[in-house]
Amino acid sequence: MNTLAVPAAKLPQAGAAPRALRPATGEAPWVRAALIVTALVFLTLFLFVPLAAVFVEAFKKGWGVYWAAITEPDARSAIALTLLAAGISVPLNLVFGISAAWAIAKFDFRGKNLLLTLIDLPFSVSPVIAGLIYVLVFGLQGWLGPWLQTHDLKVIFAVPGIVLATVFITFPFVARELIPLMQAQGQEQEEAARVLGATGWQMFRRVTLPNVKWALLYGVILCNARAMGEFGAVSVVSGHIRGQTNTMPLHIEILYNEYQFAAAFAVASLLALLALVTLGLKYIVEQRVKHQRRGAGDRAE
Amino acid sequence: MSIEIRNLNKRFGATVVCDNLNLDIPAGELVALLGPSGSGKTTLLRIIAGLEVPDSGEVRFHGEDATHTSVRERNVGFVFQHYALFNHMTIFENVAFGLRVRPKPPPGRPKAATPPRGAGAEGALGAHARWRPSDSEIRTKVMALLKLVQLDWVADRYPHQLSGGQRQRIALARALAVEPKVLLLDEPFGALDAKVRKELRRWLRRLHDEMHVTSVFVTHDQDEAMEVADRIVVMNHGAIEQQGTPDQVYDHPASPFVLQFLGDVNLFHGRFGHAPGGEPAQADTVYVRPHELEIVPPAPDGAAAGTLAVTLSQVLTVGAHTRIEFKRDDDGSYVDVEMPRSEFAALRERLGLQGGSRVHLRARRVTRFAAGGALQQEMPDPAAMI
Repeated sequence: MNTLAVPAAKLPQAGAAPRALRPATGEAPWVRAALIVTALVFLTLFLFVPLAAVFVEAFKKGWGVYWAAITEPDARSAIALTLLAAGISVPLNLVFGISAAWAIAKFDFRGKNLLLTLIDLPFSVSPVIAGLIYVLVFGLQGWLGPWLQTHDLKVIFAVPGIVLATVFITFPFVARELIPLMQAQGQEQEEAARVLGATGWQMFRRVTLPNVKWALLYGVILCNARAMGEFGAVSVVSGHIRGQTNTMPLHIEILYNEYQFAAAFAVASLLALLALVTLGLKYIVEQRVKHQRRGAGDRAE
Repeated sequence: MSIEIRNLNKRFGATVVCDNLNLDIPAGELVALLGPSGSGKTTLLRIIAGLEVPDSGEVRFHGEDATHTSVRERNVGFVFQHYALFNHMTIFENVAFGLRVRPKPPPGRPKAATPPRGAGAEGALGAHARWRPSDSEIRTKVMALLKLVQLDWVADRYPHQLSGGQRQRIALARALAVEPKVLLLDEPFGALDAKVRKELRRWLRRLHDEMHVTSVFVTHDQDEAMEVADRIVVMNHGAIEQQGTPDQVYDHPASPFVLQFLGDVNLFHGRFGHAPGGEPAQADTVYVRPHELEIVPPAPDGAAAGTLAVTLSQVLTVGAHTRIEFKRDDDGSYVDVEMPRSEFAALRERLGLQGGSRVHLRARRVTRFAAGGALQQEMPDPAAMI
């Protein structure tokens, strides 16, 4: 109300808005300060401190112990298995994600909504259940157990089980990223390519793929991070056989339970480092995805 | 290349979008498919392009059945309402796309090679299957097309850096790059603002006069259809209401729908005004366009024959035309009259017109349809009945 009572003499120089005027959604300075402080305190307490703790603990006993912890045979095999599981599940989910997104965004078919819902299943179900599903199917007492045993194939408590569980858990990442973008982009560009004489493959490689490449990469990064960090489902199917079926997260748990804190944190620091790299990549790619979304939005202007 | 549509049917679920359509589009013509939204015009265009498959019926190109030819092999150019340019490619690459996706010529073949599949033998349909030109040939061709659409200076830019009108011209250049036998345009100016739309219409007309490629464009804007097309096909509810030159469909509408869709019209139930005896009282509907009504001073003896007593309610002047809204004295409904601005100024002077003035209207021409709705009668001058 005070602003209304500005003396007439001051009006001509009121080029800048009077201080008391705020944008409609603006808040008082103390509200802003309180919100920012709250957010920062939370971040520090729950994210930065633990992250720093991982590295501090890892190097507590010096470089030598750290290096020994991550180069001992069991650790090396855990790292190798983690890379293998991610190396198999990420490409598989890449292929599945693109096909599922293509099918859902470009075609109408019966059961489309069911497929959309099913893709989210790994998100909604507890990872332990996901692991148990595979034990029930492939385990000794499971449906396929006897058959597998007679053919001398091992799935549960072996590498294939770990890969299967990882694939299941990381199922939705790529598809979930692509579907909204491809739906927003519609089919006009594909139709234009078809009319101009492009084959199906040319249309996909020259039009569809470039249009979604950043979203695809984003999905792959998230998928990879989850594949390497997965604990619950893998824990159920792995059997914790040292040097054979231990992934990095499982290895860390074992070390920790054996009171080898420095070693546990040393391996954990690798995972934390991976998380940081993922975050950095994610940030860069996210900017590109936003740009691409805007491009898709142009269509509807 | 001429296009013939034979007994074409298409439905989406319970909605019939093409109801046994038959249509001939002669080679070299520019034809407008005109109709309200949901009239099936876009679907018909997409069926001609091969982007939709009809439930039954035939599409023939130059007498050859093309119904089951894939969209790639039809050799049509298609321009989308929202341009559908490839956002990640430069303008140059957009236009070059249709040439770049062609198969590479086998090594050792002379440069001016014949098409991979005999164009002569397969006729018009096989003619497109040509080898990919060399990079320098592509460059020459694309630059020539960009010049044609007057945008050769944007070759290295990306679509999002262009205005809507420019994008649509690029889309047209891209469609023309493959030398289509048929050019199909789906509401090509629908997403543009009014001024650009007007410019592009004229430009499209001139372009067509130079190129003479058989063209079909879809529009819901009757002015656009009137201005650009050689022939107009008026569609409604999946059926063709009428086809003919712009003058034919405007002056001799085949149905009340065509009459009402091609411009404003006043409706009168029963006869227009009070005609003296002799003519049997008809209970049908009479249509008079706003510019076919003239304002006459009230007759001294009250209602004159063949005229309508009205009260002036509103005057709107937009540009060169004045639109006057009258309220009928007998039933209170409104009647629109349109005339040139200068004519109205003179008339206002002469009759002292203002809000509430009571005058009479006389129709220079009325249109009515016989009970069936198919037949049309026109009375050149009802005043002659007096």
